[in-house]
Amino acid sequence: MTNKDDANELRADQSWVLSSLEHDQLVKAKKHKIPRRRLKGPELLVLWGLRIYLLFMMAVVSYQVWIAAR
Amino acid sequence: MKSVTTQSEQETLVITHEDIDRAHDRARVSQARARRGFLSQTRLLWLLVGPGVLVMLGENDGPSMLSYAATGAKYGIGFFLPFVVLTFCMAVVVQEMTVRLGAATHRGHAELIFERFGPFWGWFSLIDLGIGNFLTLITEFIAIRAGLGFFGVPPWIAILVALAVLYIALMSHRYWTWERTTMAAALFNLVFIPVALMTHPSWPTVGHAFATWQPLPGFSKDTVLIVLADIGATVTPWMLFFQQSATVDKGMTTKDIRFGRFDTVLGAGLATAAALGTIIATAPLFAHQMSADNFEAAQFAQALQPIIGHFGAALFALGMVEAGIVAAITISTSSAYAFGEVTHKPHSLNLPMGEGKSFYAVLTLCAAAAAAIVLIPGLPLVYVVLLVNVVAVLAMPPALVFLFMLVNDKEIMGDLVSPLWANILSTGVVLVLTAAGVLFGISIIAPNIFAALGGK
Repeated sequence: MTNKDDANELRADQSWVLSSLEHDQLVKAKKHKIPRRRLKGPELLVLWGLRIYLLFMMAVVSYQVWIAAR
Repeated sequence: MKSVTTQSEQETLVITHEDIDRAHDRARVSQARARRGFLSQTRLLWLLVGPGVLVMLGENDGPSMLSYAATGAKYGIGFFLPFVVLTFCMAVVVQEMTVRLGAATHRGHAELIFERFGPFWGWFSLIDLGIGNFLTLITEFIAIRAGLGFFGVPPWIAILVALAVLYIALMSHRYWTWERTTMAAALFNLVFIPVALMTHPSWPTVGHAFATWQPLPGFSKDTVLIVLADIGATVTPWMLFFQQSATVDKGMTTKDIRFGRFDTVLGAGLATAAALGTIIATAPLFAHQMSADNFEAAQFAQALQPIIGHFGAALFALGMVEAGIVAAITISTSSAYAFGEVTHKPHSLNLPMGEGKSFYAVLTLCAAAAAAIVLIPGLPLVYVVLLVNVVAVLAMPPALVFLFMLVNDKEIMGDLVSPLWANILSTGVVLVLTAAGVLFGISIIAPNIFAALGGK
């Protein structure tokens, strides 16, 4: 197979793949980053509140494991 | 990897092996969609189900089935039958959002959190996922070891069998084949239904439980723990990451959301049937006043043997093995997807081994490390089994808030943002989970307040 045949086959592959997939489904398209969103005050408050809740509850679980292990 | 230079665009367009495999899957979907008639629609449905069934049956894992078995043995047929149905309804509300997110953005959950909210919050959520997944993976191998132990299989052979099944599922390097193989294994979860029938349950009692939610369990620390364990058996953070990434890897688009919803409801229906089957199957232990505290899978099977015979007990033990194996596959896959998404390494089950070394390495290393821990003699792993579902419930509210914010983000979702009713339902789920976690905390660290609330 010549280089020209190879190129034709690859172009056929390309057009078939492009017609079957949406553009942003291509692996290459996914390399483009989605822009960062600035978190607002109430959102940060909820996120920090839940983070503290989770850390506290993990300490409670660890305490329970410690009690059970004793 | 193939590359073509188009003269008109003067740019190099790279089409990967992953793109070509996904395009094959999408072409079949397009062909089925283009045809009319019942058979074509059935074929379309067959092509598009998968992530929802897998995530729901995958979540009916080792610790979950043990929670349901403990529920039946401790409380019999009553409040917990309708309660488990309610928890699966919560799971549908939550998982439907991941279908929409995946189909609309074509990005995985970890990737979206990192890119939209930054690495600071991204790492928090990834660490939550990593710790939860690893603890859960350990419990899957405990369930596999205990289930096969019923048949006299030595622990190290049981673990090797599980790792071999995981490897076989991956060998095709095609998402489609992996999905079908794992779904076939997951359907074995329904084995708990015939086991339940073998116990000859009283159907009027079952009907009464659904109609009245009674008899109610007493309000005690044990009840709070089992409520949390049963919630954690249906809604956990790995499910969010897995279903969104699998939706993306499958190549689903906004046209497929309707089928994604059906897939999720179908999976929830099957998983609910298996969960209810397990509770009903172990309810005779409650009737015989048998103490099942700290039972492992094999002990439940042995305790049931006088009631349902050796064949029934063997089915129960095999069900536990299946639950562990399928969950080990799906949970390790969710870890590998998340790792690839945040490190921008290739992450797809369509990748050949050479192109997806890091993806397959993370997947197999997670499973192998958890399996190795189970083989260390003398480790007090029973506490991990008891608490892994509780940890999942506690980690769920922060994960759900990220999901809630993403699915309401008009810039990435466009017209597919959550409608008001979905937001009300998902807010309700967050509040229920947080309240359950707070009640658990009070029962442990402030028994006086718990007693004042009526707890024993």
